[in-house]
This record gives sequence, structure tokens and C-alpha cells, in this order.
Amino acid sequence: MSTPLLEVRGIGKHYGRVVALRDISASVHAGEVTCVLGDNGAGKSTLIKILAGVHQHDEGAYLIDGAEIRLTSPRDALDRGIATVYQDLAMIPLMSVWRNFFLGSEPTLGFGPLRRFDVAKAKRTARSELAAMGIDIRDVDQSVGTLSGGERQSVAIARAVYFGARVLILDEPTSALGVKQAGMVLKYIVQARERGLGVVFITHNPHHAYPVGDHFIVLNRGRMIADGAKRDIGRDELTSLMAGGAELEALSHELEHGDGGLAEVAEQLEAEVERLH
Amino acid sequence: MTTAVPAADERLTDVDRFRRLIIRPELGAVAGAVIVFTFFAIQSPVFRSPAGVANWLDPASTLGIMAVAVALLMIGGEFDLSAGVLTGTTGLTLALLTVRFDWNVWPAMAFALVLALAIGFVNGFLVVRTRLPSFIITLSTFLMLQGINLGVTKYFTNTVSVGGIAQAPGYQAASAIFAKSVTIFGTQFRIAILWWIAVTALATWVLLRTRLGNWIFAAGGNAPAARSVGVPVTRTKIGLFMTTAFAAWLVGTILALKLTSVQANAGIGQEFEYIIAAVIGGCLLTGGYGSAIGATFGALIFGMVGKGIVYVGWDPDWYKFFLGILLLLAVLANNYVRKFAEESR
Amino acid sequence: MKPKLRLLAVVAGAAVLAACTAGGGVENSDNTGSGDNNAAGNQSGIRVAVVSHGAAGDKFWDVVKSGAEQAGRDIGANVSYQGSGDPNQQSQLIDAAVSQKVDGLVVSMANPDALQEAIGKAVDAGIPVITINSGAEKSKEFGALTHVGQTESIAGAAAGERMKRDGATKLICVIHEAGNVGLEDRCAGAARTFGGQVENLQVNVSDLNAAGSTIAAKLQSDASANGVLTLNNGVALAAVQAIETAGRTDVKLGTFDLDAQVLDAIKADKITFAIDQQPYLQGYLPVVFLALYKSNANTVGGGQPVLTGPGFVDKSNADQVAEFAGKGTR
Repeated sequence: MSTPLLEVRGIGKHYGRVVALRDISASVHAGEVTCVLGDNGAGKSTLIKILAGVHQHDEGAYLIDGAEIRLTSPRDALDRGIATVYQDLAMIPLMSVWRNFFLGSEPTLGFGPLRRFDVAKAKRTARSELAAMGIDIRDVDQSVGTLSGGERQSVAIARAVYFGARVLILDEPTSALGVKQAGMVLKYIVQARERGLGVVFITHNPHHAYPVGDHFIVLNRGRMIADGAKRDIGRDELTSLMAGGAELEALSHELEHGDGGLAEVAEQLEAEVERLH
Repeated sequence: MTTAVPAADERLTDVDRFRRLIIRPELGAVAGAVIVFTFFAIQSPVFRSPAGVANWLDPASTLGIMAVAVALLMIGGEFDLSAGVLTGTTGLTLALLTVRFDWNVWPAMAFALVLALAIGFVNGFLVVRTRLPSFIITLSTFLMLQGINLGVTKYFTNTVSVGGIAQAPGYQAASAIFAKSVTIFGTQFRIAILWWIAVTALATWVLLRTRLGNWIFAAGGNAPAARSVGVPVTRTKIGLFMTTAFAAWLVGTILALKLTSVQANAGIGQEFEYIIAAVIGGCLLTGGYGSAIGATFGALIFGMVGKGIVYVGWDPDWYKFFLGILLLLAVLANNYVRKFAEESR
Repeated sequence: MKPKLRLLAVVAGAAVLAACTAGGGVENSDNTGSGDNNAAGNQSGIRVAVVSHGAAGDKFWDVVKSGAEQAGRDIGANVSYQGSGDPNQQSQLIDAAVSQKVDGLVVSMANPDALQEAIGKAVDAGIPVITINSGAEKSKEFGALTHVGQTESIAGAAAGERMKRDGATKLICVIHEAGNVGLEDRCAGAARTFGGQVENLQVNVSDLNAAGSTIAAKLQSDASANGVLTLNNGVALAAVQAIETAGRTDVKLGTFDLDAQVLDAIKADKITFAIDQQPYLQGYLPVVFLALYKSNANTVGGGQPVLTGPGFVDKSNADQVAEFAGKGTR
């Protein structure tokens, strides 16, 4: 097994007295998609922020290419090839596609006070990079706000790929999208994998994760409750973990002791749990 | 899935090209300026004569320098309400140093510049540090400077204005560069107009053709997003506040050298005119969108309306009313144009 | 529908603007006034621009405006009135008048230095200039024909004497306009003749409410101040309220400039005297003088200012004057 591009061992994070993450271990390899699943409040966004360099971990180790590091800023993460695409996309809606594409890493001509933004190159490159990802955006001058949700995601992914990301972290890219658009995004995730990146795909939807994932991690209340490769975890098991099968069972036991209508609900919950297993 | 790179131009229809032209933020201001000019020019031959043009370009120039700087700041997502009173502070500094302490005009100007940049830095630093709205922070600065202007002037001169700059050493050269007039086609035009054009050109180039310009749009459009891709938002914003301070120094110096005296209440009340000119020029109050050229045309409209009213003989008491209508029409037009441009296809 | 609605709004806006053209003001044509050259009587057609340092809506300057406009009607001259408290804007208004090639210019100079260049250009362009109200000391130097107004130091001295006579021992002199040398002269003149202590207090004429509070605060904190001299009718009325607020009925209040309400206050013993510099004349006379200069090369004053005051108005003659103040001409 080659050195993972990115690895976390026993990562923990707390805010004051609240423990957001506890003992999280995972690794990301080139050409593989690692899915991080969990319901809301499971700690996914905290994990992303640590991976992206926004926050620092309190416990455990963060390794890049096998060497332990401590990231100081998002810029630091970017410089090491870890690109993060956030839920809100880190796109500026009023700015054009090509300006967004090169934001923070603008190509320049000349030097000193006459150093200028190489606009021609930026437009050209944006257009060609998007095309290479199979993204059909006619006019890179249009503002990002006029693009559909799926198109915006694709621009963000193409941007990350272009800037030499070796690890691509995607924070709930399909959550706000309809079926067709989500499908578009999953296609680009596969594209990125094919180009040799390691992808971390965070989502709360197991039906999106399963088709593209090579490795799965499930978080629940800051802890890992599952960790396995695709051949080890089936789709249904994944779904039941996500749906909190164990919790549903506990809930139904509680309700059993109630009377009348509550017992009925308990029965229905029991049946649901059976189906999941 | 296509692998060929589509050549952009042949796939753009004429509608797209037209749309791209329309959505430029300065369109509203340029159209407005043309309409206003035509309106007054038709009614008053003097308004459109060289002497008349020189006359309304004069207030437009000093307003324009400030409006452009304030527009940059607004695009970056912040306000500076202390910009107006700062023109008074810099002018008074120059006046007091030369008249009361017998400094040469040039070192006095340099001192005033350093002071202005320091105040701009403080404004910016407080805004990014406290994360309080810049409206509030600069409002406090505005009040403080207003008091300082009056208090310090009275302390040193026992009156509320400082005059006699013309007698100071270095005045001749300084006023030749900042305050005098040049003769073109037999008419005298103030040099400040050239400064105004230079400032506009520089601001436009920075905004559209440099990295910094990209950062300014991003900082105003979505600062957290910009930060997360590595844009130095803090430095950019502080720099923008120092830019409005620099413009205030330039205008304060121009006026002080032109009038050879400065009143303690100079500049107070102008801050909203700068913002209005910027908004007429296409700047959004929420930031992230706007144009330096637009702000310049906004200032031009101000100058034309202010003096146009005089030339056609309207009652000057109604000036503010017309300004209000103008502003309303301008923002409605800008709003409509932007919605049209941003409709999802 | 929406685009049409917006188009309608734009058209409506344009219509409003166009309508105002028809209604407002007087047309400015390019040709210079070509009245018949009879002496005195028929000077139709000359254009006079009055550019003051008074903001729109100021009580005092409204009377000046009335006087100027009435003179225009009486002798057939075309009079335009503009005002701005900002010296830069005032100088630009003077430039505008010069570019319109007016036949005469009337200017008040609160800040003479700032206006020197603009007035100089008018004189160089052959436009006769008369200064009014403030700036008498620079009037001749700038090339004006004469100054119409009140010599401030003389008027101030008269006010100081009157205050002393009325029994005040410490005087608060309220200055309401930044950098107006004339106002400083009034207080300085009063200080010369008053005999007791004179202290200047700075307020802003464009915020009379705040001015009143400032005066009240001063009276509340200084029990020895028993005389207040205000230099403007609006400020005088604010001072009347301030005295009541401060509960200082022992304070004697005198003022410069009057209007109908000041006269009422005099009749009610709230103000002991008002010094009238007759602003109506400051608007009226210069227009007539300029017309005479144009038609007959007459000059007035013999190199000295033409004085419109000080005239004292107190309880003894208030009724007489009140009638005219009610019309906005006194």
C-alpha cells in the first residue's frame, strides 16, 4: 500500500467543554474516493476545517505524505496541495467565472508597480480547464451567480484540480442539488479521481456516496462508528448506519412502555429496523 | 462529452454581446450624465460654452477624486463616513503648520499626508479588528475629527478659520501643481481636473487589471470565501481605508492651496455626496460590485446638476430635491439593469 | 409590464424636471443687457447676480434676497440670487456668474481670502462688483466699487455702550458663523466700550436648537454673566428660550438684526434692543447702484462704504418697525 496522501490518526477537537471530534483516524490515497458520512451534528464540518487548515486539531496527528505537520492557515493547506470546496463554494456570486477561477492565485505579467493581472490568460485557461473537465460553460465572463448549483460546483472542482490539488475535499457538494445536478457533480468527482487525485467526499446521503466511494467512514456525535472499504460494507449496511439503526431500536424500546397509540408507533419503528437489517 | 475547446466568440450570440455591454456597472451613470448634460445644454448656451464647462467641472473634480476612492472602498464592502471631515483636517494641518508655525508648504503637505494615512490606517484597523460595521466606526472617527478640527484651530488661532497660506514659502510652486488653472482653447480649467482624471484612470486600472482589484471585488462580495482561497482580506481593507484617506489629503490640499484659507468646518456634510456619487456610478451598498469610472460620472452628474440649476435660473432651494430624484432614478435603473443581466439562463 | 413601468417612471421624472424649467426662475440669454441709455429711469435688461454666503432658508438672507428681487422689479433689472456657506462653492458660483457675463455682481465676503481669486476674475472681465454685509476691510483691495453694509466694529461699539447703559456687568457675545471676521469685529467693538468682561461663545446658525442649548448651558454654569449679545435674529430667539430654560431672568439680552418675532420679544421685554443693519437695503441698494453705474457711470460712497446701520430698535419704536417686519422686508 502506497503512502497515503493525507492521513489523520486519533484526531480530536474540542471547543471549550464541548467535544466536537474524538479519536478520528482515516487515510486518503491517490486515485481513491474516501466518503465521510454522518448526520447533521456528527462532526463532519469540524473534520473538514481541520483538514483544510482553518482550525488546528487538539489531539492526535495530521500527516501529509507520511510526515506529521500542523497547518497554520487555509493558504498553508492550499500550498501543500489540499484543496477544499465548501458547501457555500467559496465563490463570489457577483464576480465572473474566470475571476472566481483564479481568485487568490491570479496569473500576472510584469513586475513591481506595473504588475498586472493577465486577463487574457485567465479567460483562456478558465475556458480550457472547464472544457477538460467536461464542463460546458459558454461564456466565462458571466457572473457565477447566473450558474446553476451543479455548474458552480463543477467550476469549484475544476479550479481545485487546476491548481494542482492532490487532495480534493468536497463538503456536501450534492446536498442542495436536484437529482440531475447531483449526478453531474458525481461525474466530476469520478473525473477527479481518474486524474489521480485523492478525494474526500463528505455527505449525509449514502445513496450519493456509495456509487463513487472506494472507502467509507461514518461519524456520529464526533466519533467514528464505521470504517471500511467498499468490498467490506454493503449499501444497506451503510444506509442503516446512517439512519441510526441502533438509535431507532433504542427509541422503539422507550415507546413500547407507553400506552395506546405509542405502542403502535413502537411497532412500526421495530418493523423499520428489521427492514434495514 | 466534448474534448475540443469551444472557441468562445463564435458561440456567443449578438444578444450575449449586448447583454455584456449593458451589464457594465457604469452604464447607468454614463447614460445619466449624457441625459443631464443634454437637458441643461439645450436650455442654456452658457452651460455648454467652454467657460460653463470649466465651471461645472470644478466642483465635479474634487467630488470625483473622493467619489472614486469611496467607490473602491464600497466595492470592498465598507463605508467611510470620515472622508469628508478628513479633507478639512488635512487642509487645517497644512494651514496651521504654514501660517502659525512658519513651515514651508511642502513639508507641511508631507506631514498632513502622513497624518491622513495614519487616520486611514486606524479606521481600517478598527474595522477589521472589531468586526463592527464600518459605518459605526467611521462615524465615530467623523465626530472625533469634527471636534478636533474646531478645537485645535481655536486653540492655536482663537478663531475658527486659518488664512494666509499664500504668504508661506513654497506656496507658489505647490499651488501651481495643485490649485492653479491651465488655459485650454482660451478658457481656464482647474488643474484639479487633471488630478481627477489621473485618479480615475489609476483606480480603474487597479480594479480591472490587477490582482489587487480582484481581491477588492472578492473582499466585498464574500469576505469569508475570499479568505478561504487565500485572499489577504485584512490587508486589502486596511489599504482601502488608507486610500480614501489619501484622496482626502489630495482634495484637502487642493482646496487649501486654492482658497488660501481653511475653515474649521470644512468638508463636513460631504461624506454622503461621495457615497451618492458612487451609488449613482453603480456601486452596491452591500459591496462586491461597482466601478470607478461610474463614480466619476456620478460626480460629473453632481457638478452638472449643481451648476446647471444656476445657469437655467431655477430656484436653488430645490437643488436637494432634484438630487434626491436623480439618485432614486439612478438606483432604479442600476437595479433593473443588474437583474436583467443576472437572470439565469 | 415591468419594463414599461420603469420607462414610465423615467418619463415622469423627466416631465417633472421639464415642468420646473417652465415654472421657475428667469431665462438667461447670452446677449448682454441692452437697455436704453437713459439716465436713471429706464435700465431694463441688465443682469445682476447676487452671490451671498448665506445658506438657503436663513432668515436674515431671505430679507436681503427680497430687497434685491424688489429692486430688480422696480428698475427692470434681472436679478438672480445664489448663496452658499462653503467658500469653495461660493467662489464657484461667482465663476458661474462671470461665465454668464452678467452686468453686475453683488458678493458678501465672510471669508475674503477664499473669494479673492474669483472676484479678481470678475473685475478683470470688466464686471462691476459691489460687496455687501461682510468683508468691508478687503472690499477696496479686491477692486469693488463700494461696500454696502454696516461697519461692524462701530456697530459693536454702540452695542457695548448700550449694554453697559442697560446695567450688564459681564457680557456673553454669541458668534454664530465660523470664520466671519465681521462677527469677530462686532464682539471686539463691544469689548472696547463695554467696560466689563466680554466672553465670546461659538454656536452654529444652521442648528439653532443646539445653539440655544449651548447658551443655556453657559448661563447655568456662569452666574456672573448677566448680559447676552447675539449677532443674528434667529440666534436671538434661541437665546430668549435659553434664558428662560436657564431660569436667569436677570440676564439682559440684546441682538443684531431683527424680524417680526424679535420685535414681539422686544415688546414683551424679553429683548432690550435690536441693532438693525437693514438687510433689505443690502439687497436693494447694490442693484440700483450697479444700474446707475451701467447707465450713467455713477459711483456711490466716494471710496467709503455706504452704511446701512447701526439703527437701534427698542420698545420706543418697535411698533413702527413691526409693521414692515411682518412683510419680511425689515
